[in-house]
Amino acid sequence: MSNIVLAIARDEWRYWRRSSLAQTVLVIALTLAIASVWVTHSSISQSAEQRQHMQSAAEHTFTDQPDRHPHRMVHYGHYLFRSPPPLGTLDPGVDAFTGNAIFLEGHRHNSATFADQKQSSGLTWLSKLTPAFVMQILTPLLLIVLGFGVMTREREAGTLDFLKVQGVSPSVLLAGKGVALAGAGILVLVPLVVGAVMTLLNGAALLMVVSFIASYLLYLAIWCGVVLLVSTLATSNSTSFSGLIAVWILLCLVLPRVASNTASVMVASPGKLETDFAVLQQMRQIGDGHNASDPAFKALERSLLAEYNVDSVEDLPVNFRGVVAQYSEAEQTKVLNEFAAQQMRQQTSQADIARQFGWLSPMIAIQNASMKLAGTDLENYHRFLREAEKVRFDFVQSLNTLQAEAMTTAQDTNRYRSAEANRAATVSADNWQILNNFHFTPLSPQQRFSGSLLAFVQLCFVLAMVLGFTLLAGRRI
Amino acid sequence: MSDVVICASNLCVEVQSKKILKHVSFTVHRGEILALLGGNGAGKSTTIKTFLGLLTPTSGSATLAGVNVHQSPAIVREKVAYLPESVMLYGHLTAVENIRYFLSLSGKPKTDADIIESLKRVALQESAWHTVLNGYSKGMRQKTAIALALLREAPILFLDEPTSGLDPVAIDEFNRLVTQLAEQGSTILMVTHDVYGACHVADRIGLLREGEIVGMFDAPDHGNIDSETVHNAFIEGVVA
Repeated sequence: MSNIVLAIARDEWRYWRRSSLAQTVLVIALTLAIASVWVTHSSISQSAEQRQHMQSAAEHTFTDQPDRHPHRMVHYGHYLFRSPPPLGTLDPGVDAFTGNAIFLEGHRHNSATFADQKQSSGLTWLSKLTPAFVMQILTPLLLIVLGFGVMTREREAGTLDFLKVQGVSPSVLLAGKGVALAGAGILVLVPLVVGAVMTLLNGAALLMVVSFIASYLLYLAIWCGVVLLVSTLATSNSTSFSGLIAVWILLCLVLPRVASNTASVMVASPGKLETDFAVLQQMRQIGDGHNASDPAFKALERSLLAEYNVDSVEDLPVNFRGVVAQYSEAEQTKVLNEFAAQQMRQQTSQADIARQFGWLSPMIAIQNASMKLAGTDLENYHRFLREAEKVRFDFVQSLNTLQAEAMTTAQDTNRYRSAEANRAATVSADNWQILNNFHFTPLSPQQRFSGSLLAFVQLCFVLAMVLGFTLLAGRRI
Repeated sequence: MSDVVICASNLCVEVQSKKILKHVSFTVHRGEILALLGGNGAGKSTTIKTFLGLLTPTSGSATLAGVNVHQSPAIVREKVAYLPESVMLYGHLTAVENIRYFLSLSGKPKTDADIIESLKRVALQESAWHTVLNGYSKGMRQKTAIALALLREAPILFLDEPTSGLDPVAIDEFNRLVTQLAEQGSTILMVTHDVYGACHVADRIGLLREGEIVGMFDAPDHGNIDSETVHNAFIEGVVA
């Protein structure tokens, strides 16, 4: 029986080899796959090198600053850059929209920036033809164009009955056609597999690479099944083609939008303006850290005077303005972190809701699996933001501590009175060596793998459903 | 001619709730050629499709060599070669490739030399052997299908309008071939509305009208069935 299955599959391939449409489709599919892997790999490798260079340049620019008042360095700020994970060359995921660099400064949470999608104009979005996009959106379309007639062609030509008379059962015929379609899917997948294996050289974990390839194999197997199912159910080539295009539009274009809209409706999140106003309101209650006389810090002043048993801030052994800066930064950071955590929770809840649509659309499931395994999903982005915030807070508070301990309150208050007074309120540039080499640590391979399990189960479920329906449809042949 | 190879017993078939065959009964013995004659919609092709297992009878039975085809469909693959009215071969394959492919599916592969020999036997011109069927005439396709049927070496042949689309020379060659196969022991059921061709080649002719056998004509020893008698009965049947 396996020989007959292979004979049917070989004949289908022979048909495609002799069909100019099929040849064109296969050439386009392969060219797109190879080009997307090559271009994205080159572009991201180049960006990674640039980022490393810029990270180093940013650190040097910061540390090369002259002797200054520490708070000027708080506002001078510093850039953090994150190198994309190895598999990010194949699926840039949310990083393409969120960016991989963040500007750290006092009293602010900045978003990541320099996103690829924001660097190009709206008309050049196709320049970001990533391997993930090609595999998730275009390859199913090409499989449809290649295979819509696998069964309807037999039906229209009348060869179906003739095959049955030769003793070819419907299940064997379907298996043969399925093997042929799977072969086409695997052929188009080869550039992605090569690209994924190459990421091993850049430090990708074997578990991630194998799972990444397996997820795309499952996804393309589903599409082969869908093409086979619709072609089996349809009575003519035209019905099969239009039916498959409708299914593609539904699964690849409509359902992902429905999923994100449903998530937005179910977990409403306030807009940026609304959030900014709310943050500003709470920050005002904390007080302006630049103004030590702000009534908001009276309680702090009283407790310090009591602690050191002195009558005025000028008599304190520490610079009161620096202490205020430390205090307000800590308090403001609490507010900022609270808002950030709330926003992350909302985004995660929305993503969780959208993920459930993976039971209906394999496109949603593969997107989630692919981004999780590549380390370019929302969770990894949040992790980057949290790590960056920790660096920001430590860096700002180190400078605030310098301000508090390296000068007196009087020196700090009077620093604009004369050049000499200004010198007294500056600290040595040696103190700028507070920046450590930042290295983002993504989630571990095991964590990423467990995070992708839901998507794997969804893909297996959809595949089982499609195969089950195809076998049922086969009984009608 | 004592062994019954093909047997229809009270065969009733409905297609989309319409009764196509009504209690059809006949037998065909080893080495015998039975031609079922009838007008359009008489049930000729339905009879063959039922024996091929493509249609299921509502009652009665269709047996090949004593085996009910609907209970043991494998019997069709083992023992039957089928020549359809519209030759259902692949247009993207050559004659040789078509035959090689279908033989491999039926589990009876042959060498290319055997295939060429068979194509010679059905008189398909050599220039067409390795040309894809898309450019073939109906007659050339028919010859390819006949070559395939011959190579199946099946003891039972079902022929659905086998000479439709063939030129007179090819019809003559075909009739000679069919007679030769029957003499070698093949059992043949053919359906046609070619009265004269059937009378020339068949041992018996059954007349089908609206799904019922309304007449059976036997050939005299060493002679052909009288075509005028059959023709008159056929016309009357069709008109009636």
